[in-house]
Amino acid sequence: MPSAVDIAAFDASVCAREDQEIFRVEHATFSYLERFPALNDVSLTVRRGEKVALLGANGCGKSTLLKVLDGLLFADRGSFHAFGAEVTEANLEDEQFNEGFRTRVGFVFQNSDAQVFSPTVREEIAFGPLNLGLSIDATQQRVHDVMRMLEISDLAERAPYQLSGGQKKRVAIASVLAMNPEVLLFDEPTAALDPRTQSWLIDLILELNQSGKTIIIATHDLATLDVLADRCVVFSEDHQIVADGPPGTILRDTELLISVNLLHDHAHDHGSTSHTHPHDESHHDSHREH
Amino acid sequence: MSTAALAPEWLTAREIALCPCGCIGKRRKANFVEKTIIGAANVLKQAMFSADVASQPGLLQRIQPAVKVVTMLALLMATAVVRHLSILVALYAATLAIAVASGLPLWFFVKRVWLFIPIFTGVIVVPATLNLITPGRVVIPLGTWFGHSVGVTAQGLTSAGLIVARVATSISLVVLLTLTTPWNKLLAALRTMRVPKMFVLVLGMAYRYIFYLLETVTDMYTARKSRTANHRNNTSSGRAFVAATAGATFGKAHALSIEVHDAMVARGYTGNARSIDHFQIVKRDVVWVLACSVTIAATLGVNYALGS
Amino acid sequence: MHIPDGYLSPATCGAFGVVMVPIWARAGRGVRKVVTSRYVPLVAIGAAYCFVVMMFNVPIPDGTTAHAVGGVLIAVLLGRWAAVIAVSVALLIQALFFGDGGVLAFGANAFNMAFVMPMVGYGVYQLLTRRVSLTSPRRAAAAGLGGYIGLNVAALVTAVEFGLQPTLFHTADGTPLYAPFHLGQTIPTMALAHLAVAGFVEAILTAGVIAYLQRANLPVLRINHSGVATTDEDLVAAPKLGWRWIAVGMGTMIALTPLGLVAPGSAFGEAAPKALNLRKYHLNAVPDGLRRYAGWWHHTIFNGYDFANDKHPAIGYLISAVFGILAIAIVIAIVLGSLGVYRRHQRPDRIPA
Ligand SMILES: Nc1ncnc2c1ncn2[C@@H]1O[C@H](COP(=O)(O)OP(=O)(O)O)[C@@H](O)[C@H]1O
Ligand SMILES: [Mg+2]
Repeated sequence: MPSAVDIAAFDASVCAREDQEIFRVEHATFSYLERFPALNDVSLTVRRGEKVALLGANGCGKSTLLKVLDGLLFADRGSFHAFGAEVTEANLEDEQFNEGFRTRVGFVFQNSDAQVFSPTVREEIAFGPLNLGLSIDATQQRVHDVMRMLEISDLAERAPYQLSGGQKKRVAIASVLAMNPEVLLFDEPTAALDPRTQSWLIDLILELNQSGKTIIIATHDLATLDVLADRCVVFSEDHQIVADGPPGTILRDTELLISVNLLHDHAHDHGSTSHTHPHDESHHDSHREH
Repeated sequence: MSTAALAPEWLTAREIALCPCGCIGKRRKANFVEKTIIGAANVLKQAMFSADVASQPGLLQRIQPAVKVVTMLALLMATAVVRHLSILVALYAATLAIAVASGLPLWFFVKRVWLFIPIFTGVIVVPATLNLITPGRVVIPLGTWFGHSVGVTAQGLTSAGLIVARVATSISLVVLLTLTTPWNKLLAALRTMRVPKMFVLVLGMAYRYIFYLLETVTDMYTARKSRTANHRNNTSSGRAFVAATAGATFGKAHALSIEVHDAMVARGYTGNARSIDHFQIVKRDVVWVLACSVTIAATLGVNYALGS
Repeated sequence: MHIPDGYLSPATCGAFGVVMVPIWARAGRGVRKVVTSRYVPLVAIGAAYCFVVMMFNVPIPDGTTAHAVGGVLIAVLLGRWAAVIAVSVALLIQALFFGDGGVLAFGANAFNMAFVMPMVGYGVYQLLTRRVSLTSPRRAAAAGLGGYIGLNVAALVTAVEFGLQPTLFHTADGTPLYAPFHLGQTIPTMALAHLAVAGFVEAILTAGVIAYLQRANLPVLRINHSGVATTDEDLVAAPKLGWRWIAVGMGTMIALTPLGLVAPGSAFGEAAPKALNLRKYHLNAVPDGLRRYAGWWHHTIFNGYDFANDKHPAIGYLISAVFGILAIAIVIAIVLGSLGVYRRHQRPDRIPA
């Protein structure tokens, strides 16, 4: 059960200051089915308006951390505070707390097929606002506005199976934006999108950030990093955070990137006389996760 | 026994290889891989086609979905109660007229209804016209069998006519409803009719993920088909493949269901289903309800007047 | 086994609709208790999976194919109450969109395939897998036998529903108003088609999927088997189950006795196009000698009697009991035998990428 203090702290956060921290994860450790480790003593603080990239090879724990930040998974050990209040499974059972938290944090999943679950695009976008207590009229207005913003108005009555991958991604993003969250979590947003949709998405993310939204993106794509992020958090393959800094610094630290398997070092293949020849890991792995 | 089981594998393979393109000779039977892929493709095609027809202008497309569902159920029940062939034929003719008024291509509509169930019904009720199964007044004697005289009875013929006409009319009514109503509107109609919202949510989601799973399965089957292009599939390895595909698909379906749940919870889902739609009954709906009521009353009245 | 509208009287349809309402309500509660708020996507995707399972064509010897219902498979994977809802939803989608099964007859179809089939099949499965480890081959075999028996009991119930129509609903001059065949015809024809072909297809698919998941995706089997030991070594005591198999075998024989009545006739339980394959197959599958024997049997036993009206059910039943027990004993032996063979021949290299 949430204590009175938690809820009071949460309410107080409504009139939060600009530079205030919104997420604080402390020493979080998590394993799936108590057997498969995914987070190992992870600590992270995110402030309002930041653009944070979670960087790491496949399987290092980025998606898991995003799910912890969205209150979908709960650390086995350690704590998670959002907007000043602790987020636990019990707290989220409180209707008011749940509504407050869910309205403020939006999550764009990697797999749009899982996120777009309603019979039509219109209903998909209405799902969040309706669940969070908006009236039917207000919901319809939001659905209309968001569809216009993302240029998907003509898809309103389409079923998900009639959508392309890029269109599904737009619908997934629209469904999250319709709740007007303060924080947006993106899990590998540009993966499996064509270049045009990719650059559209990058522009959208930047625009959202400029309008005051906090952005957290899980990615292993180094190419778009310095545009998308003003801070990089690097995961090692044993599920720990090994670096935290501006993208310029991180991208120049070849040794670090090689050690976490984000770059491929072919120096050995050429013998000692050859130059170091880094490859971007993301070009090699096209395999699907899960 | 079909020859396929007796023929050695090389023999059937040779036959295909020698067959010129566009041949009219004997064709290899579609195997389970092809049949499954074709079946999946047909489901998709049918769904797409329904969606297209439902968005065209027409009589039934303009009626509120909930009104349509209720009147269709009432008409189905009236059809089930009727005991006279003539009335069933009249009702069937009425469904044809409505199909035309709703802009459905007539030939397509007739084909969609009659293939396969009414035709199949017609075939299987043939033995039931004999006095061995339906005793009564023999109108076409066919001889004797083990000392019994065998023949077609009037009762048997009437019964066969009744069931075929009833099946065809019932299917026509359902096809009329589903071809002129977009799927999401149908779900909304169920909600307004007090079907539990949770059930409607499950129904909508199930329909949505059928296509996703069919795609997954089709991919696996297509991959197999391309790998086995040069030799015939043997039955037991085929069965192992079906089991493995079905098993792997279940694994994917389960992982998907967890992800979908996360996606729902992330957007505020706590176990209550809500929906955006609200319907308004307008004048043409009232007219439609009146027309259906008159039809049903007339049907039952005539049915009663003709007696049993 | 999908009954279209027009085969059953409105009274029958209404009765089954009324029977199904509390079953669905109970199933809703049962599922909610097991998987809490996760049940909506789980059951929905389970229903989609069930629909897709009905599309899988399983190759059977002679080059034709047939498809399974999957009711028992879903029950083993997700639990029997989840199966009730998942199969019902799949049936409703089929009825509305693909004309497979009627809308008025939805209650009856749901009763047969979404209630009787998973309940009976899962009951058999549970009886045979107490104190059996999760990876034991016996589990796959039990699921297969559950599928076989579940499908056949559902077919029997369907045949009874059909067969009662001409007796209960006819005009004054004896014209049947709905399905015209009597119990004496519906039961043997449905039994023949399902005992000989469809039951095996169901068993093969059910056992095959469970065996595959035992090798390739054990966590998924845990959804409905949370407390079960993984391997035989993990079991507290070695299972002694011989008597259970025998009990189920005997019970099945007795329960299915009426199905043993082998008579020439045409299958008409399935109305869907793919059922034509089954029908064709079953006609092919009956050896000519057996058919001649059946004819002789009818001639000698029933000659001089008006057997169409079932006036001497006792004699017919007695004969069919003897015949039926023999037939079913052979069938069960074949099921168990083929499952054993099937397991031995599976190799992991057949797993698709
Ligand atoms: N549902 C799950 N069950 C078991 N293990 C999982 C599950 N999801 C993820 N994992 C494991 O947890 C680790 C972290 O996964 P994830 O957070 O998805 O990584 P990333 O998103 O960085 O690629 C991986 O080793 C993965 O195998
Ligand atoms: Mg990930």
